[in-house]
Amino acid sequence: MNENKKKIIVLGSGPIRIGQGIEFDYGCVHCVWALREAGYETILINNNPETVSTDFDTSDRLYFEPLTLEDVLNVLEREAPYEGVIVQFGGQTAINLARPLAEAGVRILGSSADSIDLAEDREQFEALLRRLDIPKPAGRAVTSPEAAVQVAHEIGYPCLVRPSYVLGGRAMEIVQSDEELTAYMRYAVDVSPKAPILIDRYVVGKEVEVDCISDGVECLLPGIMEHIERAGVHSGDSMAVYPPQSIAPVTIGKMVDYATRLAREMHVVGVMNIQFVCEGDEPYIIEVNPRASRTVPYLSKITGVPMVQIATRCLLGESIASQGYKPGLWPDQPNPAVKAPVFSFQKLAGVDIPLGPEMKSTGEILGQDVDYPRALYKALLAAGIDIPLKGTLLATLADADKSEALPILREFAALGYRILATSGTCRFLRAAGLDAEPVNKIREGAPNLIDVLRSGRVDLLINTISKDRHIEREGAEIRRASVEQNIPCLTSLDTARALALALEARKNGDPFDVRTVDEYLKK
Amino acid sequence: MVIGSGPIVIGQAAEFDYAGAQACRALREEGVSVVLVNSNPATIMTDVEMADRVYIEPLTPAFLTKIIAREKPDGLLPTLGGQTGLNLATELATRGILDDYNVKLLGTPLRAITRAEDRQRFRKLMRQIGEPVPESWIVEKDGELVELSRQSGLPWPLIVRPAYTLGGSGGGVAHTPEELIEIGQRGMRLSPRHQVMVERCLVGWKEIEYEVMRDANDTCITICNMENLDPMGVHTGDSIVVAPSQTLSDKEYQMLRSASLKIIRSLGIEGGCNVQLALDPKSFGYYVIEVNPRVSRSSALASKATGYPIARVASQIAIGLHLDEIPNRVTGKTLACFEPALDYCVVKIPRWPFDKFTSADRRITTQMKATGEVMALDRSFESALMKAVRSLEVGANSLRYKGASQWSDMEIESLLTTPTDERLFAIAEAFRRGLMIEEVAGLSGYDPWFLHKIRGIVQMEKRLRDHAADLNRDEAAGLLTEAKGLGFTDRTIAELTGRTERDIRALRTSLGITATYKIVDTCAAEFEATTPYYYSCYDREDER
Repeated sequence: MNENKKKIIVLGSGPIRIGQGIEFDYGCVHCVWALREAGYETILINNNPETVSTDFDTSDRLYFEPLTLEDVLNVLEREAPYEGVIVQFGGQTAINLARPLAEAGVRILGSSADSIDLAEDREQFEALLRRLDIPKPAGRAVTSPEAAVQVAHEIGYPCLVRPSYVLGGRAMEIVQSDEELTAYMRYAVDVSPKAPILIDRYVVGKEVEVDCISDGVECLLPGIMEHIERAGVHSGDSMAVYPPQSIAPVTIGKMVDYATRLAREMHVVGVMNIQFVCEGDEPYIIEVNPRASRTVPYLSKITGVPMVQIATRCLLGESIASQGYKPGLWPDQPNPAVKAPVFSFQKLAGVDIPLGPEMKSTGEILGQDVDYPRALYKALLAAGIDIPLKGTLLATLADADKSEALPILREFAALGYRILATSGTCRFLRAAGLDAEPVNKIREGAPNLIDVLRSGRVDLLINTISKDRHIEREGAEIRRASVEQNIPCLTSLDTARALALALEARKNGDPFDVRTVDEYLKK
Repeated sequence: MVIGSGPIVIGQAAEFDYAGAQACRALREEGVSVVLVNSNPATIMTDVEMADRVYIEPLTPAFLTKIIAREKPDGLLPTLGGQTGLNLATELATRGILDDYNVKLLGTPLRAITRAEDRQRFRKLMRQIGEPVPESWIVEKDGELVELSRQSGLPWPLIVRPAYTLGGSGGGVAHTPEELIEIGQRGMRLSPRHQVMVERCLVGWKEIEYEVMRDANDTCITICNMENLDPMGVHTGDSIVVAPSQTLSDKEYQMLRSASLKIIRSLGIEGGCNVQLALDPKSFGYYVIEVNPRVSRSSALASKATGYPIARVASQIAIGLHLDEIPNRVTGKTLACFEPALDYCVVKIPRWPFDKFTSADRRITTQMKATGEVMALDRSFESALMKAVRSLEVGANSLRYKGASQWSDMEIESLLTTPTDERLFAIAEAFRRGLMIEEVAGLSGYDPWFLHKIRGIVQMEKRLRDHAADLNRDEAAGLLTEAKGLGFTDRTIAELTGRTERDIRALRTSLGITATYKIVDTCAAEFEATTPYYYSCYDREDER
């Protein structure tokens, strides 16, 4: 043990689970490396045997221990004196320990427990946004169905409703009318004065994710990622592109300004992740997390900005400028990159696959190339959506989605896809002049949809979710059959549109090429 | 060139980033320039500092061919990227792409890989060397499946496993001809080679794993052995695992160790390999179940459990080094041919996603469902188990589980018989209700030794509750020391005795009951370690 070096303790992220994947181990490892490079003796606590963070030579000393208050305090007692503890890279596991550790008198390096709690406390946080004049979707907390309807009338449908006590999108729904809202309030959730329901205006728009590094005064934004699926799909399950493809410079300017001011006001030191939804040119804040997010390794690699290293130096008291970085948005890199989720539905019987506010993916990959459509193609291929240039597509669409789906299906038809659809969808497509072949619904007799999927003739299923419970029961069966048959199933028209774009790039563009991570950073 | 395992999916988690990163470092230390390919950028192995050339491109034969054409690597190390990496390397080899570009497959020869992965060839080899394999049939067509289902004298129930899939996806246990056809057809669809294996079902037998290594000189060593608490029938990735094995007699241990070494030799593996065996708890009968001719989730666990860096040593073997030439980096003094010695107990528990997927089928079978895992070390099995439980972050701080007291006796019986993520907690609850070890053993198939330990934990819950009133007296020191030694947290003790966590911490500190730390050094302190790691315990001596 080196007695002269100052010590810092880093908390790891525990077992890999849905919502807390390998990204957080990546962050912890880089934090440890940055600390060691800065001359600190670095101690890591983690319990996941699968990871690099628990390799014997990653940290100066590794404690293979549970990440509970007691176990961590025991290690801290033994390692005293030390400079402080770093919690912001270890996901929710480490963040959850910030408050109890602070109460036990432990110094948390970087954003304090108060900053972390501020982002979670709706009232405090809204007051801060009002003071800074930063917009968020209008909304309020309610405790009765009547109050909910009243608020909905004030802010207008569609509304996003969710219980205040649940994190991570569970039991979140988008409602379009009084009936749907009332049904949700009466049947879907337990409402009580202790457990209010949050009701917000659902801004139908592009969702955008920003990761930034703050030294407490200035803020560096390595990059912005635009989600491909519209708001309402969990950020961990949506595809996303860097740099943004359809966000106006004025909007980006606003996001940079908001992020910078928020980081300063919240006393953020280290990394922070902000999610916006854009309506017109206006970005609305939907979520702020003063800690490392899932996108940190992605942005680090595609922008060449070593985010965790810079953030760690900030935790040690250095400024962004003193590290040779100019605060503000880092210049866009020449080669777009697309992140896509990967699911493990084949392993999990009983889990329905539609994209929604609850995260379902287990992993993610990245596709990068000289332009957006080609990067999209690589991302979809790497995510296992390997469909031929010409093939057969089966579409089962909710009524509300039919007109939006039409141009997308036209693109597939133009590529040479044969389009199969259930009777209603088929009539609609034919009326619009698109050649489609009818397929029986499950109850309409053999051969029905499921038989067609099992025949191996279908290359792609596009299935959008209906509000009609009757239709939905069939929808779930169709989706399950596609999982069993290993047929890609897209439940968001945005993903389908991206896929058509990607296939066009493959059909009409040059053959695909490969480059190293470094080469992609050059023109 | 090193191929990674791609995105995190159930069956392939962070263990291959760990293995790949270790391999890259080891190879570069030996002066080898490394080209790394993976589609998953959230990995350390894809950091530009880890390899000379890093590609984040789709893991398909076509894209890998482009990279090979561009980089013209001298060799390809196929055994570090999980099943994904191995399948891709095999495909590149069989398509002739490696030959076209003069790329040599490093480490375990392709012949050995196919011998281990192709069930029929593997079984033939096992029969040649006299190692028992369970009766089994390879089925590739629906007709063959129907024919098999009609055969008389089949050793029902039968287990069905699709070939070449991740984590044995899509398999299951068939009790009737109808089930055999259903599961078999699904398995064939899921198998990239449209192949399933139907096998005598060894449900109820002990499942034991050995991690073994071999070099080109035919030097072989055992890194460690591991025992699954859940008997055969549960995927090892979904099983609670203890290392080293706790319930084997020395004769059984040596018998299975010899078998594992014989197998790695006969396959001709150069690197690491995982051997899975089924042991009849009532006789010395055993069967060889499966061999993984590559680094795996189990080898990552064995590495962390023993301190022996399997992926690092496997990469060094792949470029021609021998076990007696490779230094052990943990001790800095011994060589890689020293078998690790453990003076502690290691428990691994899988982390399942049922908290997120509330509608999912929670039953655990031969098809893996866990997304991750935790590991804990301690001087005793009980305490390692308790530490692992609280590491899971499923709201349990001990074997006391939310809702368990509301389970009906019927529910408990079914939870004991049908494995789910809640079985461990159901076992504890069964003991709380006074079930006998024999009864629980009969229902769950757990070895009585483990059940005895779990019952000891449950009995401590009661003792703490009974002594709630007189905890402040000095006589409490003995009880508290014992409880801490079994892995009880201050919070659990506080809950059982009606105090606060802070009170208990203050009380035990005043009584001098504090955590001490021990070292993992691969050699049971025989040599001094240079880069050790630590685990806590409530023992006297603190190791620094």
